Amino acid sequence: MKTRKNIIYILFVFVNITPYLYSFYDFKKIHFGIDNIIGFYPIYGFLACMGLIIIAKAFSLIFKKDDTYYD
Amino acid sequence: MISNLITHPSTSLILGAMLIYMFKGKGNYIALISLLASFIILIFFTDQKDLVFTTTGISIHYFSYNSLSFLFCLVFLLIGIIGKVFSIYNNNDNEKALILIYISSSIAVIFSGDFLTLYVFWEIMAITSTFIIWSSDSMQSGKAGQRYLIIHLFGGLILLLGIVGLYLDTNDLAIRIINLESWYSWLILTGLLLNAGSPPFSQWISDAYPEGSYSSTVFLSAYTTKASVFVLIMTFAGSYILVLLGIYMIMYGIIYALLENDIRRILSYSIVNQVGFMIVGIGIGSELSINGTAAHAFSHIIYKGLLLMSAGSVIYMTGKRKCSDVGGLYKTMPVTAACGIIGALSISAFPLTSGFISKSMIVDASYHQNLEIIWLLLLIGSAGVFLHAGIKFPWFVFFHKDQKIDTTDPPFFMRGAMIAASAICIILGMMPNLLYEILPYKVNYIPYTGNHVVSQLHLLLFSALAFFMSLKYLKRTQTITLDIDWFYRDKLKYIDKIYNYISENLSNYVEKINISILKSRFEIFENFLLKQITISNMLTLILITLFIFLVLNI
Repeated sequence: MKTRKNIIYILFVFVNITPYLYSFYDFKKIHFGIDNIIGFYPIYGFLACMGLIIIAKAFSLIFKKDDTYYD
Repeated sequence: MISNLITHPSTSLILGAMLIYMFKGKGNYIALISLLASFIILIFFTDQKDLVFTTTGISIHYFSYNSLSFLFCLVFLLIGIIGKVFSIYNNNDNEKALILIYISSSIAVIFSGDFLTLYVFWEIMAITSTFIIWSSDSMQSGKAGQRYLIIHLFGGLILLLGIVGLYLDTNDLAIRIINLESWYSWLILTGLLLNAGSPPFSQWISDAYPEGSYSSTVFLSAYTTKASVFVLIMTFAGSYILVLLGIYMIMYGIIYALLENDIRRILSYSIVNQVGFMIVGIGIGSELSINGTAAHAFSHIIYKGLLLMSAGSVIYMTGKRKCSDVGGLYKTMPVTAACGIIGALSISAFPLTSGFISKSMIVDASYHQNLEIIWLLLLIGSAGVFLHAGIKFPWFVFFHKDQKIDTTDPPFFMRGAMIAASAICIILGMMPNLLYEILPYKVNYIPYTGNHVVSQLHLLLFSALAFFMSLKYLKRTQTITLDIDWFYRDKLKYIDKIYNYISENLSNYVEKINISILKSRFEIFENFLLKQITISNMLTLILITLFIFLVLNI
C-alpha cells in the first residue's frame, strides 16, 4: 500500500505542475479551435479514460466469464 | 541465377533452417549466423533491381525492392536477432528452425512483386506460425493453434479467390494500388485484413499468440500482422474504410485489454490496438500518414518485442502467466521491470521514446487532413493505450500487491536482449532522424515542438490519474471475456471427430492389406521416414525442394 500511496503523491505533484507546462504551448499554432481551450488535453484525456473504463465495466457485465468457461 | 538468389535476404535464413536439422544441438549458432548474414546481405549486397523468374507465360517477380520493403525487412531482421538472443536458453531445435522459416517467408512476402509470390509465402507464414504455436509445451497450444490455422487458411482462401479474380479481370498480378470498385478487390482486402487482426476476427491474436512458448511469442507478434500492414500500404493506401476499421480496432484492443487477466493476452490485445493506428494511417493515405504508418510499424515491432520479452522473462522465471498471480516483482526482477517500463512508455508514446516520434505522425496526419472526429477518436485511443499497456501491464506485474515470489532477473542473454531493445526505443526517441531518413517519403516533421510535448504529457498524465482513481474497478479477476469465437469454438470438435474417423479408418485399411511387398515397403517408409521426420521437418523438405527447383530453373 505504501508504494501505491507514493505513486499517487507523485501523480498529484505532476498534475499540479501541469499548468506550468502551458508556458511552452503556442496557442497560435492550433488547428481546430477546440485545442485552443486551456485544459482541453488534460480534461479530454481524463474523461476519455473514465469513459473507456466505464464502457469496459459495462461490457464485463455481459461478456465476462469464469476462465474455465471453455474447458 | 544463383547469385541473384543469394542477394535475397530470405535465402540465408532458409539455408540456416536446413542446417539446424542437419546439425542438432548447434541451433543457436546457426540461427544467429544466418540472421546476421541476412542482415549483412540486406545492408550491403541487396540489388535494388527487380528479380524476375519467367516460366510458361507467367513471370514471377520474387524480389521487388523499394524503400518501404527495405524498412520492413530491416526491422524484421532486427527483432529477429534480438529475439534470437532472448530465446537462446530455449532448447527446442524444431522451434528454432521454424522461426527461421517464418522470418524468411515474411521477408519474402514484403519483397514479393506480384500476388502469386505473395500468396505462396503468405501461406507458408500461416503454416509455420501454427507449428511455432504447436511447438510450445503449453496445454492449450494444440487447440489454440488449430483455431489459428483455421482462421488463416480461411483468410488465405479468400485472398486466393480475390487474386484469381484480379488475374481474370486485368491479366496482371503485379502488386499495386487497387481501388475498391470490383468484387475481387474486396476479397483481397478481406484476406489481407484478416491477417492484420481486423474485425470481426480480431480475437485470433489474443487467442493464439499467448499460447506460444515464452520466447516464440516475441517472434509471432512481429511478423504476421506487420507483413499484412506492409501489403495494405502497397495495395489499399487511401481507402477511407480502413480509417473506420482502424478506429474500431483501437477501441476493441483497449476495452478487451482492460478486462484481461493474462499478461501476454493484455499485450496481444494491444497489438490489435497498435495495428489499428497503422490501419488508420493507411486509410488516411497522405504522405505524412504513410510515413507515420511505416515509422510506427518499425517502432511498434521493437517495443512490442520488448514488452513481450519482459512478460516472457516473468513467465520463464516464475512460471506464472496471470496478473492475479504476480505482483511486486520490481524488487526481485529490477532489470526486467525497468525494461518493461521503457516498453510501456514507448507504446504510450511518452516523449523521448520511439512511440512519441511515430504514432504522433499518424495522429497529426488526421489533424492536417481536417478529419476532426477521427483526430478526437485517435486522441481517445492514445489515452487508452497508456491506460491498458502503459500503466496496467507494469502496475499489475511489477508493482501492486507484493505476492512475495522468490525469483531473480533472467539469465545474461535474456537481460541483454531486453536492454538492447530498450536502448533502440530510447535512441529512436531521442534521435528521430535515424528513422526518418529511411522512410518512404521525405519527412518534414518535427516531433519535439512545445505544443506537441505539452499536449501529450497532459493527455498521458491525466489518463494515469483516471487509472489510479478507478483502480478498484480494475481489480484482477480469474476471468476471460467472450468474443466472436464463442460462435464457432465448440463446433471445432466436429473437425476433430472427422480427423479421428479418417485416421482410424486409414490405419485399419493399411492393416488389412496383406501383400508382403507393399507391407515391407510400408515398413521401410515407417521406419526410415515417419520416425525421423516430423511434420515440421517435412515442411522444411518441401521448402528445400522448392528452393532446388528455383535454383535449377533460373
